[in-house]
Amino acid sequence: MFVLKAIEQPVQPSAVSHVDERSAPVEISENTGLSDLTPAQLYELNQSVLNDTVADRPLIAEIVPLTALRAEYEGGSQSFVKQIDYLAGLGYKGIRRTKGDGDCFYRSLAFTYIEQILHSPDQSLAVATAESLLDSSLPMLEAAGFQRMVVEDFYDVVVNLIRQVIVPEPNGTTLTPSLLLDAFQSTEVSNYVVVFMRLLTSAQIRTDPETYAPFLFNPETGEDIPPREFCERYVEAVGKEADHVQMTALTRALQTNINVAYLDGHSEDGKVNFVEFRGSAPEENENPPVLLYRPGHYDVLEKGSAEEGSTLA
Amino acid sequence: MGSISARRLAKEYKELNSDECPVGIKLLQADDFETWIIAIEVLGETLYKDEKFALKFRFDPQYPISSPAVQFVVDEKYQAPLHPHVYSNGHICASILGEGWSPVLSVPAVCVTLQSMLASCKKKERPEGNDRYVRFAPDNPKKTKFMYDDDTV
Repeated sequence: MFVLKAIEQPVQPSAVSHVDERSAPVEISENTGLSDLTPAQLYELNQSVLNDTVADRPLIAEIVPLTALRAEYEGGSQSFVKQIDYLAGLGYKGIRRTKGDGDCFYRSLAFTYIEQILHSPDQSLAVATAESLLDSSLPMLEAAGFQRMVVEDFYDVVVNLIRQVIVPEPNGTTLTPSLLLDAFQSTEVSNYVVVFMRLLTSAQIRTDPETYAPFLFNPETGEDIPPREFCERYVEAVGKEADHVQMTALTRALQTNINVAYLDGHSEDGKVNFVEFRGSAPEENENPPVLLYRPGHYDVLEKGSAEEGSTLA
Repeated sequence: MGSISARRLAKEYKELNSDECPVGIKLLQADDFETWIIAIEVLGETLYKDEKFALKFRFDPQYPISSPAVQFVVDEKYQAPLHPHVYSNGHICASILGEGWSPVLSVPAVCVTLQSMLASCKKKERPEGNDRYVRFAPDNPKKTKFMYDDDTV
């Protein structure tokens, strides 16, 4: 592998040396509070977590018991163990892991979004609602500057998957929890779904720049960044991890709700903070899916255990 | 090649052969969905006036999720443009071809970006370390990890 500097223009000092300017060097360990880190250090930490977990894991896996996650931390950070016990105390029994490839938030959210439709008491209504929402997102995607030719492939994959909840495939099967998992484990389908989630997120930000601009910053330097540039570099580009802004934008675009449990290893009493992302009125979905955040990564947290399958809370 | 991937390339092929094809871009060869050759010239008063170049696009089965491998053709007929982001073997240092790639980009979009990269050039020169890079460069430019110091491409 070559690492090259290809041009001779002076490098912006802010782009390379901000860490030293902002704070004294901090040695990062499992006990370092995330709030002590500069944006650049957090970004690097995230990227290193991603690189460590990319090995041959499925894009999204079967539910495993929460005790399996606990076992991973037993020899290490006790604050993580305490927080996992706290989650168990709240009734969470399982975790559905996603691959740490930078797409994990989008993949987790999309999976739970379709899973909710699949488990809806009125599937036909749920499918029709989702379809009409996605259909009405097309003008927003076009207004954001995406060519229809480009968008439609990703759109079709998502809509076909949702339709399959009620409309049988040519071989006569409608979507089951196991077929949904298969679809999300197949590279092509799964990544197309992820791209569509990214496009929705980007379009939401691009078409409402005033709302989002104050919250946009370059994750590498912590500096302000214009919405369009932010979207191109940190939303549309494959493998770029989502942060608060992207999560807010996507839940609004899909008019869906999620809660995120922050397992950050620096809570004194082992409590876990839950952050609510509300893209629709709360009463429409009182028990939204829960994603489990660990620094740099999102998985799905489940109330059902592995044995019960993917029962939603 | 995945079916969705082929469908996308078929649409791009159609666009390149239609009136919507951007000015200064011409599809020279596309016998399959693996390798395309595209002629590119920069119109107007630029340092590359009257010069003609060719780009080689190589697609893997994950396109457009994964970026195409793009380089300038260097053979008896074509040379790589003399530009601070373009090595003499045709490899290009542009973030959109690496970590800045997004599946919303397409062959015409890449061509247009490279046109404007050439059009905005102030001084014709090779990148620093050209000879060393070219001596050891992998065949596929995607295997090179470039550092992007310039946010404009």
